[in-house]
Amino acid sequence: MINATQTETGTPTAAKCWSCGAASSGAHFCGACGKIQPLSPGIDYFAFFALPQKLTLDADALEQQFHTLSWKLHPDNFVRATEFERNLSLERSSELNDAYRALREAVSRIEYLLGRLGIRKEGTTKQQAPPELLEEVFELNEALDELREARAEGADLAALRERLTAAQANFQEKLREVDAELAGIAMQWDAALGSGADESERTRLLARMNEVLNRRSYIRNLVAGVAKELSEA
Amino acid sequence: MARAVGIDLGTTFSLVAYMDPQTGAPKCIPGPSGSTLCPSVVSVDTSGRIIAGDAARELLLTRPDRTIYSVKRLMGRGTADIQDELKIFPFRIAADSANVIRVQLGEKTFTPPEISAFILRDLKSWAEAYFKEPVDRAVVTVPAYFNDAQRQATKDAGRLAGLEVLRLVNEPTAAALAYGLHKQKRGRVAVYDFGGGTFDISILKLISTTEGDIYQVLSTNGDTHLGGDDIDNAMIEIARRGIEQGSGINIDPRSEDAQELRKALIQAKHELSTNDTAVARYRAAGKTWELSFTRADFDELIRPIVARTMAPGKQALADAKLAPTEIDEVVLVGGSTRIPLVRKTVGDYFQRAPHVELNPDEVVALGAAVQADILETGVKNMLLLDVTPLSLGIETMGGVVAKIIPRNSTIPASAQELFTTGVENQSGLDVHILQGERELAKDCRSLARFKLRVQPGPAGLARVEVKFLIDANGILQVAARDLKTGEQQTVEVQPSYGLNDSEIERMLEESIEFAERDFADRQIIEARTEAEAILDATEKSLRDQRAGELSPAERRAIDEAVARLKTAMASGDYKAVRQRIDELNQSTMHFAEIMMNSALQTALEGKRLEDV
Repeated sequence: MINATQTETGTPTAAKCWSCGAASSGAHFCGACGKIQPLSPGIDYFAFFALPQKLTLDADALEQQFHTLSWKLHPDNFVRATEFERNLSLERSSELNDAYRALREAVSRIEYLLGRLGIRKEGTTKQQAPPELLEEVFELNEALDELREARAEGADLAALRERLTAAQANFQEKLREVDAELAGIAMQWDAALGSGADESERTRLLARMNEVLNRRSYIRNLVAGVAKELSEA
Repeated sequence: MARAVGIDLGTTFSLVAYMDPQTGAPKCIPGPSGSTLCPSVVSVDTSGRIIAGDAARELLLTRPDRTIYSVKRLMGRGTADIQDELKIFPFRIAADSANVIRVQLGEKTFTPPEISAFILRDLKSWAEAYFKEPVDRAVVTVPAYFNDAQRQATKDAGRLAGLEVLRLVNEPTAAALAYGLHKQKRGRVAVYDFGGGTFDISILKLISTTEGDIYQVLSTNGDTHLGGDDIDNAMIEIARRGIEQGSGINIDPRSEDAQELRKALIQAKHELSTNDTAVARYRAAGKTWELSFTRADFDELIRPIVARTMAPGKQALADAKLAPTEIDEVVLVGGSTRIPLVRKTVGDYFQRAPHVELNPDEVVALGAAVQADILETGVKNMLLLDVTPLSLGIETMGGVVAKIIPRNSTIPASAQELFTTGVENQSGLDVHILQGERELAKDCRSLARFKLRVQPGPAGLARVEVKFLIDANGILQVAARDLKTGEQQTVEVQPSYGLNDSEIERMLEESIEFAERDFADRQIIEARTEAEAILDATEKSLRDQRAGELSPAERRAIDEAVARLKTAMASGDYKAVRQRIDELNQSTMHFAEIMMNSALQTALEGKRLEDV
């Protein structure tokens, strides 16, 4: 069941602490009175961890920061606080978990950045075979069809299984190539960000990452599809 | 001061535990029988009185039609969900059940949260008797794989039992907490929790930080309808077939015979955990039967049931991105992990001997007590970071589910979705929320539906942002905001399987009536006991020769008071009984003095002055 609730919006302005009125910098807690603060509107996951929008980051340091912030923001700390503060804790700790989930892995981090910058929208990825893969995809689909037919007829599947397993290994290798390519562009993005590269260079990098991500999700679906067929065969 | 406790609301047994301030260790509280296990059984007697625990378990044999066990299997479910279980479990489902089940117990019907509340109330009274002070807050555990409706039903049960549920904690996580305290373990831990009716597996990472220990759940999986009950039912099936072949009689699962053979077979199951053979003896169809099992027979019988735990186990490891050998510690929880085949299967899979040092029945309640103490005192030296077991999604075009919060996300977790109108002058938007891993809405668990209000206008102009938030209990909250006006919108959600607020309110009123009635019942028993003692003493004294020293008026007053007390005792009104006891005490005051003085004299007689 679901509780319909109406969480209070961040009525206090971002500039002042709701409790003591001291100037606030958008930090998790007020620097003066230590009270938990509402989320600043529009803050992104990188900023939540006080990080620049760079795509290479130290995973161990991020995890450590996640643990430190969990310790401070978790609703366990606010059981006896006012309802307003309990809601702020719920809001901030869920944002912390959402942010960590998005940033902890390279691919989801890139997806998040592209989504945040309006380049990529969920569910709008093209499900078209990348041209350079067309031939292999065609072969794979043929093998999958044969497998389904053979299974329906109760024929021997061993040879087909072998063929599909080989194809699967091939596509997994391609997935690794794509990941490496993506990591390369991500590094270029970070460098561009660091050197203050112009808008057009950044736009170009974002578009490339989006294109590679589309290819990646296409191959991933293929691999998952083959794995499913193989497990059922 | 009122206290907070930890409660394991189990399928077969429930337990209550607290943090002992003297030892700093959690401890289970025993009930009147001295055992810490409260059978999760509820019965209603012919006068409508609710009986829970040990007394109710006895009634399973004599009044199975008024008694229910394993009600946890019905929590948060609709009648369509439980058709398979009805073939084996003697649940008497009322005809008016639909998306909330109503169970027939004697003349009345109850929902699963109400029945669970009776068990919780029993445990609450154990704790109150133990502390001699009220208990009104609790951390209650739930199977990690419980969905939103099952969690909400558990929370409702707490509320109906007069307990503020401080937090729902996942059973394997609670067990890990108890084990962590016990062993000071660090690293990656797999908790394999095979209970009476549910199976969970959780993979955790235990981290030491400067502030304290963090128990971070990496992944969880399970089956909320897989447990020792299924083993019992497999054994019962063999016995029933034997009886049918031997006598031609088909034992009705709702009959007293069925309960007797169930009890005997469970006994045999327990024996097989330590012995190589066991014989179950039971009376059924007017004859005494014997069924013997070797360990090998038993293992063969339960192998498919135990095998069903492996798929969730593998999935949990895959989700945590770990291989079985990367697990540092394996912890066994739940009564079914006493079975040697279960231990062997788990040990073989993880290639290490599982931990069994703590009592697998108690460990979950102990962990719940630790968490209750943390929430209650605010003194925190450990933190649980749990996850949501199932993906949360919303139905989109063509009945496809769009996942908005993936399974194994650390909770609290949230997701925001923007909704807009598809046709001109649309005044509302229907949102359907689901839980599960499948692609299509029809294959997922429907949680709730609600309607968003929008200003009629051209299609696509309205903008309503809905925030879905799964709280630290694993329960969903929904808030909506109109981006055009900036206004918050109250979301009226209709739960698909569960009680709405007005139903809960009504049940709360009823539960208060039950509580009052229970209170009155207890009062009358106590008052009667006291009255009997006084009547006994008075009548004994009146037979004494010294009663002759009473004046006729005094004697008459005493006789009248005795008669009035006896009448009051028959009435069942404890207040009247107490009043008449006071009156009798008043009228015998002088008589008591006479008796006292004479007793003193007797004691002094024959003693020398210097001895006095």
